[in-house]
Amino acid sequence: MLSIDKLKIRLDDWSSEYQLQVADAEILAIQGKSGVGKSTLLHAIAGFVSCQSGSIAWQGKSIENQPAEQRPVSLLFQDHNLFEHLSITQNLKLGFGKPPPWQKITAAAKQLEIEQLLDSKPGNCSGGQRQRVALIRTLLRPEPIVLLDEPFAELDPQTRGLATDWVRQTAKEGHKTLLLVTHQDEDVERVADRCLVLNQATDN
Amino acid sequence: MLAVGRLAVGRLGAGQLGLLFIALVTLLSFQGLIGFSANGNGGSGPDWSLLSDTYFRQVLWFSIQQAGLSALLSMILAWPVARAIYYLPELIGRQTFLSLCILCFVMPTLVLITGLVSLLGRSGILTPWLGESWNLYGLNGILLAHIYLNMPFAVRVLVQQMNTIPDSSWKLATQLKFTPWQRLKHIEWPSVKASYLMLFGFIFVLCFNSFAVVLALGGGPKATTLEVAIYQALKYDFNIPEALMLAWTQFLIAGSLFLALTLLGSISWLSADTATRHWVPTLSSTKKACYQTIYYLAWLVLLLPIVALFAGIDLQEISRFSWSSLLEPTAVSIALGLIAAVSATITAYLILQPIRNAYRQRQHRQRIALEWIATHTLVAPAMVLSVGLFIFLLPKIDLDDWGIVFVALLNMVVLVPFAFQQLKPRLFQFDQQYMQLSSSLKLQGFSLLRVEWPFIRPVFVASLALVLILAIGDVAIFSIFGSQDWTTLPWLIYSYAGTYRIAEASIASLLLLALCSLILWAFERFRSHVEH
Repeated sequence: MLSIDKLKIRLDDWSSEYQLQVADAEILAIQGKSGVGKSTLLHAIAGFVSCQSGSIAWQGKSIENQPAEQRPVSLLFQDHNLFEHLSITQNLKLGFGKPPPWQKITAAAKQLEIEQLLDSKPGNCSGGQRQRVALIRTLLRPEPIVLLDEPFAELDPQTRGLATDWVRQTAKEGHKTLLLVTHQDEDVERVADRCLVLNQATDN
Repeated sequence: MLAVGRLAVGRLGAGQLGLLFIALVTLLSFQGLIGFSANGNGGSGPDWSLLSDTYFRQVLWFSIQQAGLSALLSMILAWPVARAIYYLPELIGRQTFLSLCILCFVMPTLVLITGLVSLLGRSGILTPWLGESWNLYGLNGILLAHIYLNMPFAVRVLVQQMNTIPDSSWKLATQLKFTPWQRLKHIEWPSVKASYLMLFGFIFVLCFNSFAVVLALGGGPKATTLEVAIYQALKYDFNIPEALMLAWTQFLIAGSLFLALTLLGSISWLSADTATRHWVPTLSSTKKACYQTIYYLAWLVLLLPIVALFAGIDLQEISRFSWSSLLEPTAVSIALGLIAAVSATITAYLILQPIRNAYRQRQHRQRIALEWIATHTLVAPAMVLSVGLFIFLLPKIDLDDWGIVFVALLNMVVLVPFAFQQLKPRLFQFDQQYMQLSSSLKLQGFSLLRVEWPFIRPVFVASLALVLILAIGDVAIFSIFGSQDWTTLPWLIYSYAGTYRIAEASIASLLLLALCSLILWAFERFRSHVEH
């Protein structure tokens, strides 16, 4: 279980407090107005934003003091998920720490209709194609917690359907605990088990 | 503690060792001079009574005046040329011109001086049209040479900065019907503002520390800089307390300025790979014609001193010239240059590791201090470094046999700041763009290096080429540690010019220039191969 207890984050003149629990293999959608602190929460879990107080625990073990590299987390950023100077294949092989599951990767690439792009550089791909590449890597990495920050924002309705189905299926098969930030109710319905709406952040 | 990425301990340690080594060379050099003067050779330290001396004040004022004017004029002249290149991407030979700009910046000073003398010297090609009062020697010549060396560099930096303006800004400006003044104020100026101040300071420091140009084209207290005054105090008067006082003055002024620039300066992150420029506003035909004229004039000005070198060669002289005399100096120059350049670039990369680490951990003061140590040889008088180390080593090592090793080593030390300045923005860009992603993907040590290397490779090779050309052109360090057994090509030119063998000097200068052009051409080819 991922447990976030009285987690207080302060960034310049903005602060927010979080309290939530996510069960193993649960898919939780997070919604709320822009600026409410959805992405900040994901970044705090991943170790990129420091917390003022409170705790983040995974399977009962506190992780808030661990460096980002040691946390059991795979995060999809809103943007800048790919190394521009490496090919799509090279990008897809990163972050596994052991030989990557290439068969699974190519199967996913085929399912998400990007298999023809494997030899290309990210600069030659559209926003939606880049997002699908990043999704594949994020979901297939061996980390038990997956955090997706607006993963379907640049996809057209048809590809969105493909991607949402694939994300849910892969997360469930891989027994991943998944937190998904989205503005679309349709994404919540298709992917999530539960939805959490964050309230307004505290301005100081 | 949160960490936004960690570097392999080995690279970090090697970087710290590199910083220590660079600082140690400067310390030993100053120790050499201080120790020598303390041993009954004219005093026990710098002669501060010189502060009230008219000669000192004149030298100091001239150093500041010529550096300030050189930097200001280089910047003023560079801007219209940079704008022409930016706004007219279809200009003929645009890319070649940008390559020529690098060549001019790194051109061995002796080659430029030979060209300028052929063009504007007492019996120069253009001299009859300049009036009887014209004199290349003095402030005129120094300014001309400094502008020639630095203006093209400023052009390149400004063009690069303007290229970071996103298409969307221009499209928005067009949509909002901005006037030319509004475009300048809201779009163009903000893109170059930060680099303008940095550039001015950088060119000022380079000209303030200028040696060969002032030695060749200056003279007398009215046209002498601190660096040349140090050389004269050491070589002609052997007055170490005076040399030390001048050295400290130069070190303090240039060092403080450089430190202030490091504190003020900011790095632009706009040049991410994805921000490719495709769209620029269309110009009116009058403006187009105006920019074209500026551009072709700039071509002419930069080519003239090079073309003038050919005028110094007599065809009969060529037939009598012993070409084999050039072989060995050329080979020595290339070998020395390669050793110094490769080690300087690798050292610069390594010493950037602790600086990146400090930046990531937001240790601002530590980062500034480390950067200053890494680049301080840019402001330390090269003559003091060479002579001080020479005096320090003389009783300990047989410098007749080992001097050439120290030519390579000192060249490496003084070139580190140049490689550092080239590599730093790219590595910081990598950290800015990808360090969170690298951390998220748990890339460390070798796996991180494998991702980082293809990203920095073009800049690494560019930096290597730049410092290689600078190393090949060295005269100052060779003049202290070099020997006749290992004569380099620039030293050969200096020897020819010193004995008024202008034809031979021109031939050797052209060969040196061809060598530098070849390196530059290879580098440009490599870069375009990598970029496409």
